[in-house]
Amino acid sequence: MKRQLPLMIVLVLGIAFTVQFFIPSRASEVTYQTALQWWLVMSSFAMVLALGSLVNHHVLKIKRRKEHWAFSWVTLAGLLVMGALGIMGGPSVGLRWANAAYNQLFLFVQAPMDSAMFAILAFYMASASYRAFRARSKEATVLLIAGFVVMLGIIPFGAMLWRRIPDISEWIMMVPNMASKRGILLGIGLGSTATALKIILGIERSWLGGSGK
Amino acid sequence: MKFFQKLSQIDRRWIYLLVALAVIVPLMARMGLPDAPGKYSLQLFDAVDRIPPRSQPVLISADYSPSMMPELHPMFMAMARHCLARKVRLMVMTLDPTGAGLAENGLRQITDEINARAGSAADSAVYGRDYVFLGYKPGTAIVMMSIGENIRQAYPADAYGTPLDSLPMMRDVRNYADIPLVNCIAGSAVLNYWIVYAGARYRARVGGGSTAVSSADYYPFLQSGQMVGLLNGMKGASDYEFLNQQRGYSSAPRVAGKGMDAVSIVHLLIMGFIVLGNVGYFVTKKSAQQKAGEE
Repeated sequence: MKRQLPLMIVLVLGIAFTVQFFIPSRASEVTYQTALQWWLVMSSFAMVLALGSLVNHHVLKIKRRKEHWAFSWVTLAGLLVMGALGIMGGPSVGLRWANAAYNQLFLFVQAPMDSAMFAILAFYMASASYRAFRARSKEATVLLIAGFVVMLGIIPFGAMLWRRIPDISEWIMMVPNMASKRGILLGIGLGSTATALKIILGIERSWLGGSGK
Repeated sequence: MKFFQKLSQIDRRWIYLLVALAVIVPLMARMGLPDAPGKYSLQLFDAVDRIPPRSQPVLISADYSPSMMPELHPMFMAMARHCLARKVRLMVMTLDPTGAGLAENGLRQITDEINARAGSAADSAVYGRDYVFLGYKPGTAIVMMSIGENIRQAYPADAYGTPLDSLPMMRDVRNYADIPLVNCIAGSAVLNYWIVYAGARYRARVGGGSTAVSSADYYPFLQSGQMVGLLNGMKGASDYEFLNQQRGYSSAPRVAGKGMDAVSIVHLLIMGFIVLGNVGYFVTKKSAQQKAGEE
């Protein structure tokens, strides 16, 4: 029953809302709107689940003194402080000092840390392009030349070198790039439809947890 | 030969140092490289430019986190400046929890600038009349579909708890039919969802901005007309800032313009490294082949 009930709900709702899409009646619209409201509420529960999972993971790490367990205290403290300030500064409580503190912490602690982590990529990319971007085969050479032209086309130096470089760069993006992207998109579309059907019909059950058998 | 071997074995710390210099120097001293707005940046700018002032509002969904801020936040700022300078009403929302803080602060900065310059109440940017901030809502695709039915389903109130019907500019806004343009600024696949749900399902006009690394994903949608325009990374943001200044909508310092100088130099540097690496690779390969032949 523990597995059959969710499978039944997915089967019934999956078929019902596929059919609903093709029925342009008032009742069908109202049903869809009501369902949307339910889904909105349910998607908020994902946050609660994520929060529980995060706290659980770090509390266990601290309890068992796993590697780098001290950093878990930082995570939990950050979660507690930002969460508390966010609630106290939000519209329901409305404490101005809490809102200001939340904004300061967000803008001057979280934002720079997040940006700095992402910025490190530039260094790795430069180093990796030097070490790995080699014309070892015909395919790699084509990729190298295309990458070179696209990079030049984006920056002003490209047009300064030769005014047609931005046009060639755009042609690469609009023709060969798009041909491959379309193929990938069609593949994703067909794959998503097949997976959705397998889930609705109960063939794919890994989302229930366990091995999926 | 030793020189070419060394050329293909440069210590990574030198590379890091050169990259750091290539980023820092152009940011400290504006190089003023020439601007040539791209086709899709221009299309998006023109789409916003054609919306009549004080009519139906444009929606900007600031779906990015601080990690993507250098590329994407200038896009948001430029687009919001453009709308508010033209008196095009603006709704701002986000589907990223960290995007709320960035968008709210950005809006505050722009409206403070406009209000400091305003000579009369009509010239000011007034909350509820000219712009609203809806805040963050979890659910991504569900939120997009809810807006397609009735925006009040997703956002019964704005980010400050004020019911939407109490805000003058929101009274006549029900769904995408009342929103002439939906702009998503995102560094993830959220823009895809906007195209699929708001665009394909509810016939909304969708435009947006993405990081340079993911912009290639959106070219099929530009060609098919499912997107009205696209800002491609730092270049797209810089294009929008340039167009804002060229048409007289903004005199604010060009953050992405400056960033584009650094990006240009780093691109050149990376291209230089690729050339060096390949020269070293081919010369050492040739010498290894010659040695093998002699033996």
